Amino acid sequence: MIQLSHNYSLPEREEDIIPIKVVGVGGAGTNALDRIVLDGIDKADVIAINTDVQSLASSVATAKVQLGRGVTRGLGAGGDPELGYQAAVESADEIRQALVDARMIFICTGLGGGTGSGATPLVAQLAREAGSLVIAFATLPFSFEGKRRAAQAQEGLARLNQIADAVICFENDCMGDIVAPKAGIHQAFAVADITISQSVRSIVNLIQRPGLIRIGFDDLLRALRSENGRCLFGFGESDSDNRAHDALGQALKNPLMNKGKMLADAAHVLVQVAGGPGMTLSEVEILMQELGRHINDQTQILFGTAVDSRMGNRLSVTIISSLGNESGAETKQAIMHTPAAPPAPMPPIWEQQQPIETPATVGASDGMVDLPPPAEDLVQFPQPELVQDVQPTVEPPAAKAAPEPPCVIIPRLKPAPKGPGEPKQPKPEKFAHAKQEVLQFEPITRGRFEKSEPTIVEGQDLDVPTFLRKNFRVK
Amino acid sequence: MASSDLMVGLEIGTSKICVVVGENRPDGTIKILGVGQAPSRGVRKGEIVDFETAMKCVHEAVVDAEQKSDVMIRSVYVGVSGSHIQSFNNRGCVLLPEDRDEIDEQDIEDVKISAREVSIPAQNAFLHSIIQHYHVDGQDGVLNPVGMLGQKLEADFHIIHGVRTRIQNTIRCVKELPLEVEDVVFNALASAQVVLTQHQKSLGALVIDIGGGTTDYILYVDGAVKECGSLAVGGDHITNDISMGLRIPMTRAEKLKIEEGGVTLGNCLPGETVLLKDDSGFAGKEIERESLNTIIHLRLRETFELLKRKLEEQSFINYIGEGIFITGGCSLLNGIHHLAGDIFEMPARVAHAQTMSGLTSAFENPQFSTAIGLIKYAQAVQADRRPRRGIGRIFGRFFTGMR
Ligand SMILES: Nc1nc2c(ncn2[C@@H]2O[C@H](COP(=O)(O)OP(=O)(O)OP(=O)(O)O)[C@@H](O)[C@H]2O)c(=O)[nH]1
Ligand SMILES: Nc1ncnc2c1ncn2[C@@H]1O[C@H](COP(=O)(O)OP(=O)(O)OP(=O)(O)O)[C@@H](O)[C@H]1O
Ligand SMILES: [Mg+2]
Ligand SMILES: [Mg+2]
Repeated sequence: MIQLSHNYSLPEREEDIIPIKVVGVGGAGTNALDRIVLDGIDKADVIAINTDVQSLASSVATAKVQLGRGVTRGLGAGGDPELGYQAAVESADEIRQALVDARMIFICTGLGGGTGSGATPLVAQLAREAGSLVIAFATLPFSFEGKRRAAQAQEGLARLNQIADAVICFENDCMGDIVAPKAGIHQAFAVADITISQSVRSIVNLIQRPGLIRIGFDDLLRALRSENGRCLFGFGESDSDNRAHDALGQALKNPLMNKGKMLADAAHVLVQVAGGPGMTLSEVEILMQELGRHINDQTQILFGTAVDSRMGNRLSVTIISSLGNESGAETKQAIMHTPAAPPAPMPPIWEQQQPIETPATVGASDGMVDLPPPAEDLVQFPQPELVQDVQPTVEPPAAKAAPEPPCVIIPRLKPAPKGPGEPKQPKPEKFAHAKQEVLQFEPITRGRFEKSEPTIVEGQDLDVPTFLRKNFRVK
Repeated sequence: MASSDLMVGLEIGTSKICVVVGENRPDGTIKILGVGQAPSRGVRKGEIVDFETAMKCVHEAVVDAEQKSDVMIRSVYVGVSGSHIQSFNNRGCVLLPEDRDEIDEQDIEDVKISAREVSIPAQNAFLHSIIQHYHVDGQDGVLNPVGMLGQKLEADFHIIHGVRTRIQNTIRCVKELPLEVEDVVFNALASAQVVLTQHQKSLGALVIDIGGGTTDYILYVDGAVKECGSLAVGGDHITNDISMGLRIPMTRAEKLKIEEGGVTLGNCLPGETVLLKDDSGFAGKEIERESLNTIIHLRLRETFELLKRKLEEQSFINYIGEGIFITGGCSLLNGIHHLAGDIFEMPARVAHAQTMSGLTSAFENPQFSTAIGLIKYAQAVQADRRPRRGIGRIFGRFFTGMR
């Protein structure tokens, strides 16, 4: 809960909240969505979409859409993506209604099952047709779930990659590695859900504080988007004597970071350092230098700091990035960001000439940082010319359709949502100046259990209400 | 009054901070001089998560206790809890030298050290080594072997340990106030000192202290501690469940739980509702009583069942003669002892500190078991420590008097 008190910007812009919706599709998607709600999300609507009424009934989402009343009759899709797709087609009008009036839609789903794999691409399609930017968070099944599920998941992912603006993939097998071997599948799911929740909430907060963020959606997308949908996300916090080092170490230990090794391949890295008034310039420098060892010189860093007196002695680091394709990250980047001038490589922060806005004196009195006043059009949608017409509907997954390998899928850019309006082009100079935005991230907030480690016993996350896990319907 | 006769217990709980000031009377009784309290902030699941805030609250409670008892507090016995706390049983053994066959105090020290020659995780520190039984040349049931003749002295200990840095957090919080830390005590061990009598410990009993953030438990068989631990689930979870299930804010869920909550199912009239009054004067919200109780019931059933499965990994639970004693704030939930009794299949009751001189009835409340228990613990420790002053550090002292 980092928040700056800037007397000049926040109040007027409060009503400028960007309409965001977070959607969970299928059983896994609904579970991830519940985690997000439990962890606390405001400034975004949450919608559960599923064929399975039991799962919908126990969800804490405020809006719910039942898919395929006729086709699946309230049961799940039984692992059949074709059925999941049919169910979504049947309920397309309801989905459309639920998705209306959002500028940004996050879709959480577990690929591999019927509803997740079959319905999600259509949901994404309808979201884009409604004029939203679409970012999908998808899990891929464990290898022990079998080849069929894996193939269904890959097929679903391929479709999703064609439609969504960015797809962030969580491999369940990797989640499995970081929980104790005997902990079991539920704990691995719980870890996946927590990670998805952290990522979604961080990004929502990044966007919902426009007065403080000098970053466009295109910048965000650049950090998130990759050919193979591999997102790197890390969050760490420490109050030790060596807190900058410890917080970074923790962030790099995140399951989606792979010990920081993969950061080396990233083209863009978004970094935010937040701390109390005692945060010093040298700490930030140490941290950025250490981070520098994990990234290469070509990597563009989008860097920001935030000071909040409530952080006390704690210092936190949030890192968001995505993995380029080793073979040709640079060439594909051009396609991904058609309208933008190729970004100038960003020198590491400690080599920049401009002073960092985090001197030892920041917030000496009240935790405020001197920031340049916010620009008028801080948040911009990338609105390129149509790269390709997007078909109004997705083809149903045909059994014989060859699954496309995910690494060759290039996310297609969104058609201009508001028809013939003046397309706003991102300003080229955006890329030239040093990026020292103050990015706002929400660290792990899990309501009452924020800051405490999750209570996971016998593979169950006990912080999740028992009645939810036991599927008791509260009247 | 000699300051060594003053004892102060401090519980930094998830819901409240409690400071009990007691005096050790010459006749062996304890007189409570005053109890200070403050609502707790910055503590989750029994552990400090926001240092500055927690420290302020502790300070507030200490000042309150100083005013109420009219003494200056310099040092405290502080309770710790948290899911990192673990324990096991281990036997130590010493062989007396050839030329000596009378067991002396040094042998007692040596056998304790020998019992701790086991590896615990590198980041952990010993909290307690509690004597269970001595054996002299294979003879069981020796209470005090000093002065006995024998060649081989063995002793069984219950050893409690936890993550060093997490324990140090609590110590640091106290030291920065600044106050001295006399000793660090696992909460359940403290609670048991006032919830159980010596007789009940001998017959075998399980104490479950369900507070705001943790459920701490300790199991006695034959007068000795055999198992203990802490599950990071407590009243906060119940409140959070209610808040999510009934879609009401946490503060109102907390109030609803305390005022209307119950554990027993099927006790309500069909359609019986509770009116959740709206402070702002608008029409309140009707809440089905059975739904409220079901949410609470499911959480507590799960907690007891988890605990039972945990205890069934060893066999000590089969040797409990006196049953279950539930304490801590959540034990005030109506019908909780019936549920525990059903699940553990043994008698269960709600328990709190018994009358002590100076203790007003307001503190005969299960919420204060740990804090008052700390005083009882302090008394036992001070009696034990007196003859041999100066030994022992904060971590891992041995006490023969403490069981
Ligand atoms: N993160 C997470 N993943 C899950 C969870 N449950 C299942 N999964 C994964 O998601 C995949 C899809 O499972 P579900 O979401 O249950 O399936 P569905 O989309 O509801 O499809 P049908 O049940 O066939 O209608 C599984 O193969 C698992 O790999 C969960 O609770 N959390
Ligand atoms: N009359 C009551 N009925 C039901 N619950 C109650 C009642 N009074 C207090 N509680 C609950 O008991 C809990 C607090 O208990 P207690 O004071 O033993 O906890 P604590 O010592 O602060 O926390 P912990 O030991 O877990 O760190 C809170 O969750 C509170 O809601
Ligand atoms: Mg399902
Ligand atoms: Mg307590």
